[in-house]
Amino acid sequence: MSEHALEQLFDEFAQAYLRGEGPDVSAYLARAGDERDDLGDLIDRFLQAVPAQPPTEEEIVLMQARLEQEPPLLLLRIRRKLSREAVVDVLLRTLGLDPAKREKVDGYYHQLETGLLDPEPVDRTVWEALSDLLRANVRALAGLRSEPPPALHARYFCADAPARFESTAYKIDELRSEPGPEREEPDEVDVLFCGLNGT
Amino acid sequence: MHDARDAEDQRLLEAGEYSALVESYYGVIIRRCQVKVRYGDPVDVAHEVVVRLMSELERGRRYRVPLRVVVHQVTTWKIKEHLAGGQVSEVELEDWMREASTEGTRPVEELMAGQGFEAMLAGLTELEQKVIRLAYDDDLGFGEIAMRLGKESNAVHQIHFRALAKLRKERG
Repeated sequence: MSEHALEQLFDEFAQAYLRGEGPDVSAYLARAGDERDDLGDLIDRFLQAVPAQPPTEEEIVLMQARLEQEPPLLLLRIRRKLSREAVVDVLLRTLGLDPAKREKVDGYYHQLETGLLDPEPVDRTVWEALSDLLRANVRALAGLRSEPPPALHARYFCADAPARFESTAYKIDELRSEPGPEREEPDEVDVLFCGLNGT
Repeated sequence: MHDARDAEDQRLLEAGEYSALVESYYGVIIRRCQVKVRYGDPVDVAHEVVVRLMSELERGRRYRVPLRVVVHQVTTWKIKEHLAGGQVSEVELEDWMREASTEGTRPVEELMAGQGFEAMLAGLTELEQKVIRLAYDDDLGFGEIAMRLGKESNAVHQIHFRALAKLRKERG
């Protein structure tokens, strides 16, 4: 990347930040390629020099979630003064699900909200319904931890992140491999929340 | 450029609305962490900054420098601490806070007013000059300076303190 291109990228970030658009630092650094450290230094100095812009709703929720050690999605719903029942009502209606599946949807939403369900396979339509209702980037919040790792200074503490979803993955595998006539076929709710498609 | 923001910070500080105050800086804190933290989770480092700031404010700590200066300094230290694997001494933060709250600016910057860096250092011993250069030219914390010079952090703090005292005496 040429020096001019780097400056352009930095200007783009700076203008977006000053317009209060909450630019994604990671995306800009990725675009800088090998020059990411240079861009990072420019951005860091810039952020220290200009008045701080108000945080986004997601950032506020994340900060409070960490302080209170509550899952971000749960905290967001509480901030919106919504009951879990109300959220499930909206999910059933928006996703066109059979009301008889209410208990199952409620169970999945509870797992999602409390960080027990891997957000990765959850269907886009679920995120859209939740984002409309909760007025925030719910997908971004769902994958974030509510508590700091036990050893904050350990260099590679993120390496254990996938383990958080082991229990869910285990359940999915169990559901898929369960033999005999009692095996419950994945239904539309499983597909939406776990990406199960019967394969 | 910062006047309105500083005034709002002061209002929140006086009202004891510490959470709202720190919250208002969270966007910039987390972005600075995202820029600098190359391994691990930047959110964890940002959380450390928040906890530290909340703890300082709730203990009634007050500064003569604007809060934004404190926020950025704590963020810089926490990032350095993370990058150093937690090897940067917590003591240095206390030192800086004490200086910041009594001097109103970084002491060497105040003492340098009207003269060059090299001219200012002329009356110091070689070791004192090294410490001042590392602290203010290279912007290192006492923990890092101690590692560079093969000394204890407390010894570096004393050398720094002695050097500042000499400089103040020279400035009259």
